[in-house]
Amino acid sequence: MVSLPITTIEVFKDSKICKLVIISCFISCLISISSFSSKNLFAQENSDCMECHADPAEVDTKVRVDHVTGEVEIVTMVVDEKEYHASAHGGEDFYCIDCHADLEDSEGEHYPNLQPVDCVTFCHDDPAATFLEGSHASLMQEKGVQLPTCKYCHTGQKSKMNTPRADNLEHRGDTIEKCGGCHEGYYRSYRNNLHGQVTAMGYTGLDIATCVDCHGQHTILNSADPESTLGPVNAKETCGKCHPGAGNSFVKHVAHPGYKDVGYYKSALIALKNIRKDPGEIKGIVKSPQTLLTVLFLAYVGLLVVTFAQFGTHMLLSWLGSILDDRKENKSDHG
Amino acid sequence: MADNTITLLRFDKFHRFGHTLTIISFFGLVLTGMPLVFKDYAWGQWLYGVMGGYPAAGNIHRICALITFLAAFLHFAYLAFHALVKKDKGIFWGPDSLLIQPKDVLHILGDILWFFRLGKRPKFERYIYWEKFEYLSLMWGTLVMAVTGFVLWFPVQSTRLIPVSVASYVDLPSIALVAHRYEALLAAGFIFSIHFLHTHMLPENIPTDEAMFTGKIDEAHVKHERGAFYERMKEEGKLEGMRVPPSSSVAKFISGMMGVPLLTVGLLMVGFMLSSVICSLAYLFMELTKNLDLDIFSIFAF
Repeated sequence: MVSLPITTIEVFKDSKICKLVIISCFISCLISISSFSSKNLFAQENSDCMECHADPAEVDTKVRVDHVTGEVEIVTMVVDEKEYHASAHGGEDFYCIDCHADLEDSEGEHYPNLQPVDCVTFCHDDPAATFLEGSHASLMQEKGVQLPTCKYCHTGQKSKMNTPRADNLEHRGDTIEKCGGCHEGYYRSYRNNLHGQVTAMGYTGLDIATCVDCHGQHTILNSADPESTLGPVNAKETCGKCHPGAGNSFVKHVAHPGYKDVGYYKSALIALKNIRKDPGEIKGIVKSPQTLLTVLFLAYVGLLVVTFAQFGTHMLLSWLGSILDDRKENKSDHG
Repeated sequence: MADNTITLLRFDKFHRFGHTLTIISFFGLVLTGMPLVFKDYAWGQWLYGVMGGYPAAGNIHRICALITFLAAFLHFAYLAFHALVKKDKGIFWGPDSLLIQPKDVLHILGDILWFFRLGKRPKFERYIYWEKFEYLSLMWGTLVMAVTGFVLWFPVQSTRLIPVSVASYVDLPSIALVAHRYEALLAAGFIFSIHFLHTHMLPENIPTDEAMFTGKIDEAHVKHERGAFYERMKEEGKLEGMRVPPSSSVAKFISGMMGVPLLTVGLLMVGFMLSSVICSLAYLFMELTKNLDLDIFSIFAF
């Protein structure tokens, strides 16, 4: 049996093999050095991007053409590092080129107006799929409304570039406005209810419900759907997140009361007009728990008006009477 | 006003203490609760922030609610003590009662005649009819606010009390919210406008009716304001027993120091509330007339 060192020495004695080994070593060294140095040369590290993107003089005013709408706008491309690190993509293991993939291998100044970031394909395919499959998105497509992009909702307060974390308070407040932009009636009635009153003050902590806390984040289904977060099956669990022990009666809560909405009264009047044609319509409106709320609200408005009109008149008249009496007394005193 | 003015004791220490408790709790409740009603207005958001924001303002609100319950408990304990131990039926019926008496109807009618200069002002008893209304509305208001407030405080527990079949028509927390909100508007608006202007800022009392802080009132004032009460006391010979030394200037100063800021805050609140309601009504008017195409220049077409 021939031992290993002896074999090696014997192989190296052959000058041809020796030359081949040396040459192959040299080539592999060259390849590895060249590939190593190319990483330093091209803008692949975040610090390379920040060389320009932290400097307002360089990138403060840039022209941007919206890829969807074609709008031209002047934007600032300054990246606030602190804000960026606080954002959802600000972790240590994120690189700029992870998302801005069209900048891979580019060096120095790059061409303007990059391709929109593809959030879905490699990272966020699950939420995108649930959003697109949900009845919310399909209804929008049916009605010909343009579907929002990820960035429409997940946008930073100060800069579009920063994707906020889910528990970011400003993002939670912004979501209400974004949903309310289309669902105006529901927005008004939400603001009329307890949760909406507090969030209207700017307190959007995790303990106060915004739209997504009840209706779901990406899978937004109609409440008639059994799988909906507010459907008969899941409602108790959804309310129970904040109200532990929520029972069957609790989930009947009218979260969107319409008693202060002109539209509610209008629809009731229209239903009343069509009572001969379609008696079910008015029945549906009257049978809802909103009826009692509306009656109570109108009664209180009446009570307020009557009380203040009556006591206001009483007060003015008694003031006037006292002053007139005083004058009379003074006159009789002098006379 | 020299030293020879005679003063009578109108409210004893117990009543003054109850009133002070009510003042503290009521102001705390209004200042932390009213911003939620006027959440769309900058003053409401500012005030809510000043009071600690969420959830501190809510906790202040609940503490003040408990103080209100304490005041209400003291009041009913006092009533029970007088009715059951002292066997004093006068607190429920008669001239010393705070409940509406047949004579009050006559007083109201007489006052209406006096408003239109058709007669002299009736001579009032110990409590004038509008004071009785104020008292009764305070009792009713406290009851409504307490019940609805507890429903809002414990929504899960309160909805357990009603079966599901009823709950689909009667949504307890929402009803409680509507009642709580508008009863609060009624109460705060009433106290800060009618009660302040009609009790404290009368021409003869401006700025505050000190009787609720010092407990003392000038005899001439009683004679002028509550003639029947004064005469009854005189006939029964109780007038001497009610006489007390006049309040010192320090007590007057302290009562002013307490009363004037409270009055100012209350009147400011009612000013903000009224202007916001007017704004909201204007907005509602604009909403309603949004779709009406009223082009006044179309008259020139003819």
